[in-house]
Amino acid sequence: MKKFSICFISFFFLFFMSMVNFMMMIYFIMNNMVIFLEWEVITLNSVSVVMSILLDWMSLLFMMFVLLISSVVIYYSKSYMSSELNLNRFIILVLLFVFSMILLIISPNIVSILLGWDGLGLVSYCLVIYYQNFKSYNAGMLTALSNRVGDVFILMVISWMLNYGSWNYIFYLMFMKNDYEMYMISSLIIIAAMTKSAQIPFSSWLPAAMAAPTPVSALVHSSTLVTAGVYLLIRFNLLLIDMLFLKILLLLSGLTMFMAGISANYEFDLKKIIALSTLSQLGLMMSILSMGMPDLAFFHLLTHAMFKALLFMCAGVIIHMMNDTQDIRLMGGISNYIPMTSLCMNISNLALCGIPFLAGFYSKDLILEMVSLSNLNLLIYYIYYLSTGLTMFYTIRLIMYLMVNDYNLMSIYNLYDEDYTMLKSMMVLLFMSVISGSMLSWMIFLNPYMIYLPLNMKMMVVYVSLLGGFIGYFVSNMMIYSMNKFLMTYNISSFLCLMWFMPSLSTYGLNYYFLKLGQNLLKYIDLGWSELYSGQGMYYILKNYSIFYNFYQVNNFKIYLFSFVMWMMILYYFMLMKF
Amino acid sequence: MNSNKMFFLFILFFSTLISISSNSWFGCWIGLEINLLSFIPLISHSTNLFSTEASLKYFLTQSIASINFIFSILMKMTLMKNFEMNNFISIMINSSLLMKMGSVPFHFWFPNISEGLSWFNNFLLMTWQKITPMILLSYYLNKNFIIIIMTLNTIIGAIGGLNQSSLRKLMTFSSINNLGWMLASILISENLWMFYLIMYSFLISIMCFFFQLLNMFFINQLFISNINYSIKMFLLINFLSLGGLPPFIGFFPKWILINFLLSMDFFIITFIFIMTSLIILFFYIRIIYSSFLFNYINLKWMKIFLKNKNLIFINFLSFLSITGMILSTLIFL
Repeated sequence: MKKFSICFISFFFLFFMSMVNFMMMIYFIMNNMVIFLEWEVITLNSVSVVMSILLDWMSLLFMMFVLLISSVVIYYSKSYMSSELNLNRFIILVLLFVFSMILLIISPNIVSILLGWDGLGLVSYCLVIYYQNFKSYNAGMLTALSNRVGDVFILMVISWMLNYGSWNYIFYLMFMKNDYEMYMISSLIIIAAMTKSAQIPFSSWLPAAMAAPTPVSALVHSSTLVTAGVYLLIRFNLLLIDMLFLKILLLLSGLTMFMAGISANYEFDLKKIIALSTLSQLGLMMSILSMGMPDLAFFHLLTHAMFKALLFMCAGVIIHMMNDTQDIRLMGGISNYIPMTSLCMNISNLALCGIPFLAGFYSKDLILEMVSLSNLNLLIYYIYYLSTGLTMFYTIRLIMYLMVNDYNLMSIYNLYDEDYTMLKSMMVLLFMSVISGSMLSWMIFLNPYMIYLPLNMKMMVVYVSLLGGFIGYFVSNMMIYSMNKFLMTYNISSFLCLMWFMPSLSTYGLNYYFLKLGQNLLKYIDLGWSELYSGQGMYYILKNYSIFYNFYQVNNFKIYLFSFVMWMMILYYFMLMKF
Repeated sequence: MNSNKMFFLFILFFSTLISISSNSWFGCWIGLEINLLSFIPLISHSTNLFSTEASLKYFLTQSIASINFIFSILMKMTLMKNFEMNNFISIMINSSLLMKMGSVPFHFWFPNISEGLSWFNNFLLMTWQKITPMILLSYYLNKNFIIIIMTLNTIIGAIGGLNQSSLRKLMTFSSINNLGWMLASILISENLWMFYLIMYSFLISIMCFFFQLLNMFFINQLFISNINYSIKMFLLINFLSLGGLPPFIGFFPKWILINFLLSMDFFIITFIFIMTSLIILFFYIRIIYSSFLFNYINLKWMKIFLKNKNLIFINFLSFLSITGMILSTLIFL
């Protein structure tokens, strides 16, 4: 029965579906075809609730990537989660996650997008808290609530779109472009996408979500959850051109890219470094999207999905072998012991940096050249190139820490590189992260971009990369003594390494005031005034009245009779006065 | 119950009929006197010191009230013409009748006496003994005086019962509260009063039978004795019904009375009535809650066994009390 484990079945199914999608994508892109399916569920007055499916090359291609990565990840988790008791639950959760992502990809309808979007939020919460400790509970709650903000904005979009009589946004993108309501809708969509893609005010959840199991990180942070926002904006891009909010988005996403690049350099947690590099790449996608080039954003999204999933899977293998240690200071020299995993790791890292002819090169170089070519201000230009340098910086630093420096964990250790389940699944992605860049660039761009730049601007990428690489090399060889010198700039370095204080701001910064308000309300209203004026106060007064009354009740019997007679005498006296 | 008591009970009932059907004040007074003289043998018990004391107190209060009653009716006869109204005379007659029924400013004898009576005599005192003075009150009613009195009745009934640990005193104070409601109903109409009195007698009879059967006189007896859980449940629901909680039948007379009071624009008085009956409900619930929830030390030798025949009777009455209002809607089907 072991052969027919749920991992195996799911792997075959997903891989098969992925290949089917690939073939369909090629067919669609050759014939320039779109299929639009619509099933009307119910019509209320003039609002039709429809379930609609949009199949074009973009959704098919994205589905193919999601399915490929998820199939490989499930195959990988057969070994990675092999000692897990509830493996079935884990796999089912991952499958649910893939299902919601696919629902989000294929639907041109904002209601069914919300279904997928909420499914992503819920299942990602279940996956982040999978290890069931306080750290993962907190991370899960942060993730779920940050994503919940996006859900609320999508709900508001749904209620705004009621005006148009249907929720098929795809019909209104051109037609209603100048409508004021559509302007509101697109602003709300942008904010929703920013929460899902962890752009700057909402980016604290992404590193926190590293509490999830590593295969989940590989799936969630490469192709599915975080790219959902980018994908939504790619679909909505017709609306977004020439919006003020899009310029704000350009600034925010550029800053996200820059911030994540810097924070990754301060980080020593292996998974968090990779998560921050994901954040940086997301910033890159968002910023090129907000400059009006959704094709390039989509291209980078796909190539990035491949090598980032591979990177996470390699990190998972390394963490497995390091007795679940994630600190890169304790790793080192692993290229001597586990050459295959190191190979995959290096290739994916270099693809991330954009070393020529690997996957990242095609998308990233194209993006940077288009940025140089377009009309934009100096700040954005600097942020782009500094972030490219920072990518090289943290990558080289990571490689030096992992591959070259000394092994520091324990004096007795046993690293082995013969877990073929993991290796095989990594090989698929290795292949893809080598070829996917060139393959996609030949396939999805009908005509090549025309780039015309002066030599120094053209070589600017090389300059910053070399500079970043050298600094990364030197930083990785830094002595402990020199690291202590960071204490001299304690404020600024804690600002930079704590992601510009964003995690604190989005947890304690928000919680504190509401908890304080709740405490005050409890203290002064619930246990204070309302208690005094309803429950306890009433009881106290009535009790005192009752005691006061008993003073009269417990009395001599003679007094009662006498007072009655006196009362009658008084009445008699008054009556006689009348006559 | 021996034949002697049956005889006096018979006279008690007929004395009431005499006084409420006579066409002169004097006849009324005769009925009241016969009533007093027949009730005293019922309550006094030669071996029980408490009941003897209670009968003595009852005799003193009732006779003083009767003296004042006959004095004021004679005054009325000598000083006034036949249908002439006078405020002070009416207040005098009303006061003496209020003393007889144990209404508020002259009620101090009522809890003291009830403490010395058995549950059956308490039941008589709280229901049947109210009939004569109330009917006579309705003959010569000072409206403003009675409005003040009934409001005081509800308030004192609620506040006085709050601190009681004796079940008989507690039921007495709840009866004082209900007396306020009854006075309000007799202000409006005699039929309404009859309805209210019948309902109240029904509810209070269930409680009195319960306590008689279980031999309960103090609250802590509810906690320490091993009563059947279902009997506690019945007790709870009947208490709620007596307090006037909506789905039960005890709410029905109060509902109708509230309706009439509101239609006669007694808004503040209605408010006071409802709020005080909430306090009544509060101490009912307090009794029953603690007897349900407290884990007292159980005295194993104090097992109470109820006879099957009695249980069926009580179950029938409780069933009416619980579902009566719901069942009464079936009339309109």
